Amino acid sequence: MRWVFILGGLAAAMVASPGFAADPAPKIKPADSTSEVPYRLTDTKHVLVRVKLNGQGPFNFILDTGAPAVFIPNKVAKKIGLKLDDKGWGEFDKFAIEGGLVVDKARTRVEDLFQLEGMNGMGMAGVELHGVIGYNVLAQFRITYDFTADKLQWVHLKDFEPPVVKPIGKGGSGGGLDMMGNVMKMMAGLMGVKPNFDIAPTGFLGLEYEEKKDGLYAKSVLKGSPADKGGIIAGDKIESIKNSSIDDASDLKKALAKAAVGDSLKFTVLRDKEAKTLTVELGKGL
Amino acid sequence: MFRHLLILALGTGSTPALHAQDKPTPKLDDKAIVVPIELLPSRHFVVLVKLNDKGPYRLILDTGAPLTIINSKVAKEAGLTKKAGGGGGILGLLGGGVDQIQVGKMQVGDVVAEKSGAVVMDHPTVQAISDAFEKESGPIAGIIGFPFFARFAMTVDYQKKEVTFKPNGYKPGDYMQDLMASMMKIEEKNKPRVVSPAGLWGFAVEKEKSDEAEGVTVKTIFADGAAAKGGLKVGDRVLTIDGRWTDSPGDTILAASLIKPSKAVAVSVKRDGKEVKLTITPTTGN
Repeated sequence: MRWVFILGGLAAAMVASPGFAADPAPKIKPADSTSEVPYRLTDTKHVLVRVKLNGQGPFNFILDTGAPAVFIPNKVAKKIGLKLDDKGWGEFDKFAIEGGLVVDKARTRVEDLFQLEGMNGMGMAGVELHGVIGYNVLAQFRITYDFTADKLQWVHLKDFEPPVVKPIGKGGSGGGLDMMGNVMKMMAGLMGVKPNFDIAPTGFLGLEYEEKKDGLYAKSVLKGSPADKGGIIAGDKIESIKNSSIDDASDLKKALAKAAVGDSLKFTVLRDKEAKTLTVELGKGL
Repeated sequence: MFRHLLILALGTGSTPALHAQDKPTPKLDDKAIVVPIELLPSRHFVVLVKLNDKGPYRLILDTGAPLTIINSKVAKEAGLTKKAGGGGGILGLLGGGVDQIQVGKMQVGDVVAEKSGAVVMDHPTVQAISDAFEKESGPIAGIIGFPFFARFAMTVDYQKKEVTFKPNGYKPGDYMQDLMASMMKIEEKNKPRVVSPAGLWGFAVEKEKSDEAEGVTVKTIFADGAAAKGGLKVGDRVLTIDGRWTDSPGDTILAASLIKPSKAVAVSVKRDGKEVKLTITPTTGN
């Protein structure tokens, strides 16, 4: 059960990194003192925020108080043309967190973390992970994590210089955990897992609906939308889609979840006590 | 170890969509409780934890940890035993090394969580950190992770050296069970993730592959739809929806998947070279 590593393991990565204690705290230039930062939880229950690095991206980062600094892999450093100093640190021209927060002169370690490589190889998080935001940026803010809200609250701590990180010393690099990335990539290959991180939108109907006691009704139909072209009109009771009966909105969402743009769906609707069969070709849109 | 990896590899946590939140229970009135933190030289932070009234023990609180981890020595001392029902789910298949448990009463400072899930494991990185600082401040017994802190609105303040917890009714779920369920879905990893907007907006966007500028371009507006009512026009370049970047059609759908119908949100667009702020309220539909 080594995948729990993602935090503690990162600290281990720092143990052997020279020059770490010398890192000065990054300077923060927040848009205002409180920022709302959109986030998502990954399938692995990590807190994911998106960041544009030097105007490129967005890249997906995990917030990790168990990591001493920002980490990005070599691939990302190369993509954004990041220059490293002789101690393996790089500094972003611009580190822009989704939601409008910009961290000036944020510094990063560049290392291929086995934890991220492993998770990406297996597609475990359900999204490609590019890096980790650790202490050197997190400590500059008072951050509220509330998973019943859809944003994190970041308040810039003024007049506060977070104490620098001291390395643990030699050894302790984690009992061979560093082989995990390659092993997991190998496992992924053996099992035929080639994670696909693309997004496939479900097909678009253009139908506003409402749930009533006896079922789901078309409330309005957007003019020119697939639902309109297919002949659905306001007041129709949606009885079934592709022969699966529809009782409520979640049934409809389930039916749509398997339908892509361009698919034709057979709808049965009840109109003036008469059942009608309609065909709707799903379109692009939201 | 190899068996651990195999199970790990199988456990590719997959859910239909990335969720920003679970189903929250109604807001609780409990007061916020402040817990002091001890900042280690490695800049991990430690909280005092009682397990079934035994302790306190020193554990690292880690936002990057999907699991709570307790070392075997302390687990034994606190009388923590395997989860009833035998075998502990996936971990039961693993044989020795890691046990899934449920801590009847987990107390972090004055914050109490009943029946909090954890695993008993001697994590090499935790041990390395513990060894490094044991002489100065004592041993570290594990990591407090998502199953505990997700139950609260948690605010981390490195300046005041405290963490504030306020119960929020969020249910973290059973990480192990989720992993188990997802073991059946490996083939889904190889396909794009199907994402559906949570509401009906009434517009469509496009972006050429060669177009690397930020935002997406509005191609279609459906008359009388939510977007039309909010003032969105064909040709607008949509930059953000509810603070989330919309740099690709996929991003746009993903942002819309996280916004519930009837919630008015800010939409930022570029029109004739100027940035315009709109407010759009999606309706119930697809």
